[in-house]
Amino acid sequence: MKKSLGAVAVAAAVALSLSACSGSSSSAEASKGEINYWLWDANQLPAYQQCADDFSKANPDIKVKITQRGWDDYWSTLTNGFVGGTAPDVFTNHLGRYGELAEKKQLLAIDDAVKKDNIDLTAYNEGLADLWVGQDGKRYGLPKDWDTIGLFYNKAMLASAGITEDQMKNLTWNPEDGGTYEKVIAHLTVDKSGKRGDEPGFDKNNVAVYGLGLNGGGDSSGQTEWSYLTNTTGWSHTDKNPWGTHYNYDDPKFQESMGWFAGLADKGYMPKLETTVGAAMADTFAAGKSAINAHGSWMIGQYTGYKGVEVGIAPTPVGPKGERASMFNGLADSIWAGTKKKDASIKWVEYLASADCQDVVASKAVVFPALKASSDKAAAAFAAKGVDVTAFTEHVKNKTTFLYPITDNTAKVKGIMEPAMDAVVSGKAPASSLTQANEQVNALFK
Amino acid sequence: MTTLAKRSRSLSPAPDKPKRNGGLRQLGDLKIALLFIAPAMIGFIVFYVVPTVRGVYLSFTEYSILGDPEWVGMENYTAIAKDPLFWNSLAVTGQYVFLNIVLQTALALGLALLMHQVAKSTIIRGTLLLPYLMSNVIAALLWFWMLDYQIGVVNQFIEWAGLPRVAFFGSEAWAIPTQALINTWRHMGYTALLIFAGLQAIPGHVYEVAKLDGASASQTFRKITIPLLRPVLVLVLVVTVIGSFQVFDTVAVTSGGGPVNATRVIQYYIYQRAFTESDFGYGSAIAVILFLILALVAFIQMKFLKGNESDLD
Amino acid sequence: MTTTASRAPLPAATSRRRTFNPRRAAAWALLVLAIAVSVLPFLWVLRTALSTNNALATNATSLLPAEFSFGAFKRVFGLQTAAEAVAEGGSGAQIDFWLYLRNSIIFSSITTAGAVFFSAMAAYAFARLRWKGRNAVFSLFLGTMLVPPIFTALPNFLLIKNLDLLNTMLGMVLPYLFMTPFAIFFLRQFFLNMSREVEEAAMLDGAKHLRIFFQIVLPNAAAPIATLALLTFIGQWNEYFWPLLVGSQDDVRVLQVGLGVFKSQSPQGAPDWSGLMAATLISALPVLILFAAFGKKIVNSIGFSGIK
Repeated sequence: MKKSLGAVAVAAAVALSLSACSGSSSSAEASKGEINYWLWDANQLPAYQQCADDFSKANPDIKVKITQRGWDDYWSTLTNGFVGGTAPDVFTNHLGRYGELAEKKQLLAIDDAVKKDNIDLTAYNEGLADLWVGQDGKRYGLPKDWDTIGLFYNKAMLASAGITEDQMKNLTWNPEDGGTYEKVIAHLTVDKSGKRGDEPGFDKNNVAVYGLGLNGGGDSSGQTEWSYLTNTTGWSHTDKNPWGTHYNYDDPKFQESMGWFAGLADKGYMPKLETTVGAAMADTFAAGKSAINAHGSWMIGQYTGYKGVEVGIAPTPVGPKGERASMFNGLADSIWAGTKKKDASIKWVEYLASADCQDVVASKAVVFPALKASSDKAAAAFAAKGVDVTAFTEHVKNKTTFLYPITDNTAKVKGIMEPAMDAVVSGKAPASSLTQANEQVNALFK
Repeated sequence: MTTLAKRSRSLSPAPDKPKRNGGLRQLGDLKIALLFIAPAMIGFIVFYVVPTVRGVYLSFTEYSILGDPEWVGMENYTAIAKDPLFWNSLAVTGQYVFLNIVLQTALALGLALLMHQVAKSTIIRGTLLLPYLMSNVIAALLWFWMLDYQIGVVNQFIEWAGLPRVAFFGSEAWAIPTQALINTWRHMGYTALLIFAGLQAIPGHVYEVAKLDGASASQTFRKITIPLLRPVLVLVLVVTVIGSFQVFDTVAVTSGGGPVNATRVIQYYIYQRAFTESDFGYGSAIAVILFLILALVAFIQMKFLKGNESDLD
Repeated sequence: MTTTASRAPLPAATSRRRTFNPRRAAAWALLVLAIAVSVLPFLWVLRTALSTNNALATNATSLLPAEFSFGAFKRVFGLQTAAEAVAEGGSGAQIDFWLYLRNSIIFSSITTAGAVFFSAMAAYAFARLRWKGRNAVFSLFLGTMLVPPIFTALPNFLLIKNLDLLNTMLGMVLPYLFMTPFAIFFLRQFFLNMSREVEEAAMLDGAKHLRIFFQIVLPNAAAPIATLALLTFIGQWNEYFWPLLVGSQDDVRVLQVGLGVFKSQSPQGAPDWSGLMAATLISALPVLILFAAFGKKIVNSIGFSGIK
C-alpha cells in the first residue's frame, strides 16, 4: 500500500498552513469544552477511548472526542485541517513527519507546561523524550509508545527444517557470508520439488517458500527491511541523529551490506523485489510463502492474529561488532498550534503521557507504551495472551537501538532514495550506485 | 451508394448553406446564447480559469510552502528540461496512453457493435458496465490483490495452466501494461456505452436505405456507421487520450511510481514534486507542460478527425 | 436463438440466417468472454467479502470463502463492536454507514442535476445557436478538460476555505455544480447530430429559444441526457479526492471516504480485505439499482423501430 490519494490534499494543506494560525482565545475558554483527538491505529482505539472516559471523569468540564483515521489518509486529512482551520487539537504524531510540521509552525511548544507540571522525562524509555525536541530546542510532544524490529517466524516451517528456537535466538550476521542468519534462511528456503536452499540441485527460479520475506526496497530508512543488519556494522544513516545534515549511503560498509542483502534475492532465498509489489508482506507470510519476516513490533497483532499459522518471534541477529541493532521509532501526542483549547489540550496530552493512561494501553497488549514501567506491563499483557515479546523489549533493555533518522528534507531524501534502493535490491544496479544517490541527497543540505 | 448519400442529406438540410431564415439567426442568437451559457460560465471561470491562472503563475516561482512564492522566471522550466525523471515520466505516460487507446477504443467499439447488433438486452449492457460502478481506487486495489505475485488468484490460475507466474505490478516490463489493463477493464463497458449511444442516434432509415441499395454488412459499417459515428468516436478518443495522460490514482494506490521509475507517470511525478516534496513551483511547471502537451494532442485529433462536424448535417 | 434472431433482421446479418451462422456464434463468444472478464472479479469480491479476514491469507487461492462469515458486512453497517472486528482480523474503526449513504446520495444527486442541466444549456448554445465567438468560447471550455486536476485542487480548496464552506455540503458540490467540460462536450456532440427540421419548424412558428430548448431539444435528447446523467452520477458517487479534501468531517462525509477505514490502518499493515470488498459491493449497490431501473428507460426511450 503506497501513498493515498488524499495525500494530495495534504500537500494543499501544507502549502496554506501559513494562514492557519489563529489567535488563541481567552484562557477561561481554553481550559474546558470539547477537544478533538486523532489517531490512526484502529486497534488502539478501545484503549484510548477508555483513557478519554477516565480523563473526563477526572476533569468533568473537558470532553475528548476521538477520531480514528487510517494511515493512508491520516496525514493528508491532518494537513487539510491545518490549512482549513479544522485540525484536531491533539493528534498522534510520527517522527518522520514532525520535523516538517514543527518547521511550518503547526505544533505548539509545550516546554513551559512540562516544566510547570513537573513531568518526569526520565520515566520514559531512554531517548524517547529527547526525540521530540525540535531543532529550535523546543519540545513538541510527549512520548506515547515505541517500536523496534524483530523476526517473526513460522514455527511449523522451522520445526520441519530442524531449526530450534535457541538457534533462532542466537543468530549471527556479517556482510561477507551472512553468518548463521544466511544459513538458516537458506535452509528454510524450499523449492517446488522440495529441495532446500542449501542442498545441491536447489532450483532458485522455482521457489515455494522463501527463507526471508521482503517488504520492499526500504527507501531512505530501511526501517524493517535492512537497517537491523546494516546498523550492526557500526554504520549509521546520518552524521548525527537527530538533525543530522549528512547522509552516509556512500559508505563502503553500508554498500557491502546492501550488496549482501540484494544477493539473497539472487540466490533465491528471498523473493525478488518485483514480486513484492502487491499484497502486504504479512499476508504472504500467512499464506506460507516465507518462513521468516523481519517486521516491526506494531505488527504483532497482525502476525499472531492469522488463523492456522503458529508464529514465533526471535530477536534480530547479532552483527559483526557483537551486538544486535534495531531502529527505535517512537510516537508522541502533539498539540496543534491553532488550537482554541490550549489548556485543556495540554492537560489531555499530559494525561496521555501519564502512567494512568499508558497502563491502560499496556493492558490491551497492542503496542509498547513509552513509560518504562508501562512497557513492562505491556510485555506482561502480551505474555498473558501467549505472545513472547522479549525479542522487541530486549533491544531497549540492552540499549541496542538506534533512533529513526530525523533530518530536514525527509520527503526529498525519500524521493531520491526510493528508486535508488529499489534498483539495488532488485539487482538492477550495484550497491555502489548508491554513492551517486547519496551525492544528490547531501546536495539538499547545502 | 450515391443515392444513399443524397437521401440522407435530404433528411436534415445543411445549416451552413443559405436558407430561409439564415440571415435572421446569424445575428440574433448572441444574447440568448449568453443566457444559456451563463451558469456554465460561472463554473468555468471560478473553478477552472482562476485556479489555472494561479497555477501558471506559480510555475514561474519557487514556492516551498514556507513564505510567499518567489519569482524565479524560467528557472523551473530550464531545470525540467534537464530532469531525467521528467523525460522518463513522459516516456512512461506515452506508453500508457498508447496501450490504453489501442486496447480501450478497439475493445469498446467492438463491444458497442455487439451490444447494438447481437445482444440487445439491458442486462448484458448493465453487466458490461459493472466494472465502471467501482471507483478507480477500489478497482486498483482489487486488482492489486488479485494480481499479486505470491498469493493472487490470477497467478494461481496462471500456475494451474502450467505457465510461469507474472509479477504484474513489480516487473518493469509488466508494470505499465498492467495499469493500462486495469484502466481498460474499468472503462471498457463505459466507453462501449458511449459509442453505443452514438449508434442509437443514427437514424434507422439510413440503414434501410443502405439495405435497399444492397449494401453488404462491411460496406454499411465502413460507409455509414463509422462516418456517422465520427463525432462520438472523436469524443471517445479525445476523452480516452486526455484521461490516460492524467492517470494518477491507480498508480498512487498500487505501485507508487516504482519499481524504480517504471510507473512514475507524469501526473504522479507532479504530485510527488508538488505535494510530497513541497516543491510547488516545480510541480506546477510540469503541470503547465502537461497541459500544453494535452492541448496539442487534442488539437491534432480534432483537426485530423474533424470531430467538430457531423456528417449528418 | 437463431429463430428468434431471424425475426428481427439486422443490418449486419445476411440471408443465410436460418442455418448456423459462424459470424454470429463468434460474436456471442466474444460477448460472453467480455461478460466473464467483467463479472468474474465481482465474484471474487463477493467471495472475499464473505470470508473471515484473518483466514484469507492462509486460504489465498481457495475459490470458496475462507471461513464463511457475514462479519465483513456487519462491519460495513457498523453492527460489529471494535473488539469483534479485531477478533476477525478486521478493522476496528467505527463507521456510520447510513449517514454516509445519505451524504453520498445528496452529494451525487445535486452535482449530477446541476452539472447536467447547466451543461445541457451551454451545449445547446454551442451546438444550435449562432453567435460570434462561439467556437472560441467552446474551445476554451473544452480546454478545461486538459487541465490536470491536481493543478486546480489546491486553489479550489483555498477558495472554498475563504468562502468558509469547508465541511459543508455546499462547499463540496460547488465546483461540480455549474458544468463539467465532459458533459458539455458530450451533449454538444449529440445536439449537433439532432435533426434541425423540428426545431426550424418551431422557429418559423415564432417559438422562443427557451421554449425550443425545454420542449423540443431536451425531450428529443432524453436518451443521451439520461445516459450522461447516469454516467455523471456514477462518477460523482465514486468521487474520492475532493470530498476527502473538503468534507472530511463526519456529518458531511460520503461513503467512498467513509469506507476508507477498511484500507490499511497502520504503516506497512494489511488492509481489511473482507471489509473492503463488502464495502465495495454495498457502495456499488445503489448505483447498480439505479442502472437497472434507469438503463431500461434509456433503451425504451430510443426504441429499436428505426433499426428494424
